[in-house]
Amino acid sequence: MRPAEKVEKLIKKLQYKASAETHDKVLNNVIQAMDRYEKQKPGARASNIRSSIMKHPIIKLAAAAAIIIVIIVGVSHFGGNGANLVYAGVVEQLASARTMTYSILTQTPVESMPTLRLEMAFKEPGCVRTITADGYINIIDWSQNRGISIWPPERQYIDFEASNLQHDPEKNSFMVVEKLRTLPYRADEVLGEKEIDGRVLQGFRVTKADMINTVWIDPVTEQLVRVEIKYPNAPGMNTIMTDFQFNVELDDSLFSLTPPADFTRMEVQADASTITEQDLIEYLRMWSTWTKDATFPPTFNPLELPKITAEMIKQGEFGEDRTQEQEHSAEAMRMYRGIMFVTQLPAESNWRYAGENVQFGDAATPIFWYRPIGSGTYRVIYGDLHVEEVAPENLPD
Amino acid sequence: MFEDSILLWKFKCGNRDAFCLIYEKYAGHLLTLAANLLDNKDDAEDVVQDVFISFVESIDKFRLTGSLKSYLATCVVNRSRDYIRKGKRRRTAAENQSQLPTSITRSPVQLAVFSEELNKLSDALTELPYQQREAIVLRLHGEMKFRQIARLNNVSVKTVQSRYRYGLEKLRSLLNGEVKK
Repeated sequence: MRPAEKVEKLIKKLQYKASAETHDKVLNNVIQAMDRYEKQKPGARASNIRSSIMKHPIIKLAAAAAIIIVIIVGVSHFGGNGANLVYAGVVEQLASARTMTYSILTQTPVESMPTLRLEMAFKEPGCVRTITADGYINIIDWSQNRGISIWPPERQYIDFEASNLQHDPEKNSFMVVEKLRTLPYRADEVLGEKEIDGRVLQGFRVTKADMINTVWIDPVTEQLVRVEIKYPNAPGMNTIMTDFQFNVELDDSLFSLTPPADFTRMEVQADASTITEQDLIEYLRMWSTWTKDATFPPTFNPLELPKITAEMIKQGEFGEDRTQEQEHSAEAMRMYRGIMFVTQLPAESNWRYAGENVQFGDAATPIFWYRPIGSGTYRVIYGDLHVEEVAPENLPD
Repeated sequence: MFEDSILLWKFKCGNRDAFCLIYEKYAGHLLTLAANLLDNKDDAEDVVQDVFISFVESIDKFRLTGSLKSYLATCVVNRSRDYIRKGKRRRTAAENQSQLPTSITRSPVQLAVFSEELNKLSDALTELPYQQREAIVLRLHGEMKFRQIARLNNVSVKTVQSRYRYGLEKLRSLLNGEVKK
């Protein structure tokens, strides 16, 4: 009598190796079916429109600036206390993971703004990779203090230095993964069970002043399934993280800082220590020259910027682009530094942006204010881009 | 998982090369799975082709919640079962054996393997009741756990384990019978 293991081994050898012709035939048939389906699809024309929007110089610049920053904000800020062993186990898993991958979905209540989806991968000792649904890739290797942003549709890349950035997860907004890993061992609230996407999950809530984090764990497998973040200051906007995988093999090539061959380079130095208020002012000035009505950008949220820019292009709100191709990298740099100034401000700066629909030259309307660290007064930037020191009691409502 | 997500996104963005990479990555595995379930080369190719066509047609709404490989394998299993249920399945090599010359009666798997022992095993596999064969093929070729197979069939894990064990036992008997001949 043959041992069962031998029969099992034999069965595993029963492989069907199809010929190259067979594969070609099947693949061709599928591609033909794809062609037929594409023609029938109502969105076929829309995708062409979208493609031309994505080629617009300003959206390129918005994407260029945002893609570097996009991993910074709105993803993982946790704090609080509470108690549950399952929850604590997940926190431990986060803290000890060699590799981690998850998806990030950011939605806004504005119908015209498409949902933004990012896939994130992390690998020790400090490599982070994000990719957007449009294929824009961002990689940072903290062990080398270097990063690269790759834009396959434009066949361009930016390599940048990530030096002079703080490595304290509590202070440095770049450390997204580290922040996720600083999730407290005790949640504020245990929410009980709820069915999400056909799975019964157990919820835990961690609340901070500017965001409410809800962590969903599968009580059977004790695996982290979903993290939801809501922003009390932006009702309707939320970030959802799903598809968590821990300790899966991630090839080093995914985190390579070597640009793809035949891609052209746009140089950016992301040395955050040299970014000042003046960078913000230059960015605001530049944006107001792009819009037909000389208004300032509607938002400072890098997650939203490319979407809003795309929408504005669709609405014809930008004037004709007269910038020479070689000036685009300088503009992208200016945009990046302006947004970085804001995203790097600490929470205690209490910064506010109110420039939406304000026209350049409006000397009476404050468009941005913040309190520098250690200062008793606020720096207020007005619509004509002059700056004043203002006491807290005299700030706009 | 991560790489599949990238390929899926690229494909959703209209990048056909990404689809071709998905095809190249999994078609071989899926064809082996289908061939072992259906024991007919043409049926196996039809099933895999249908699975990929459904996949591309539903890509706009598709959301990956587990591994893409498991998802596609599950589609192959379900479609193979439909094939058999609807009687679409062409005659298996074993069924044809009495009518056709030996040179063209080999099953797809047999065509790919030259060992006599494996050919016998392939024949023996076709003689198993479908549920037992499916349990064995999914476990050993689909790399599925008993729990996954049970969920797929809407039966208990014990039932699947029994099917697997009885199937394996029968294969051993059939093979031993062949050897005695």
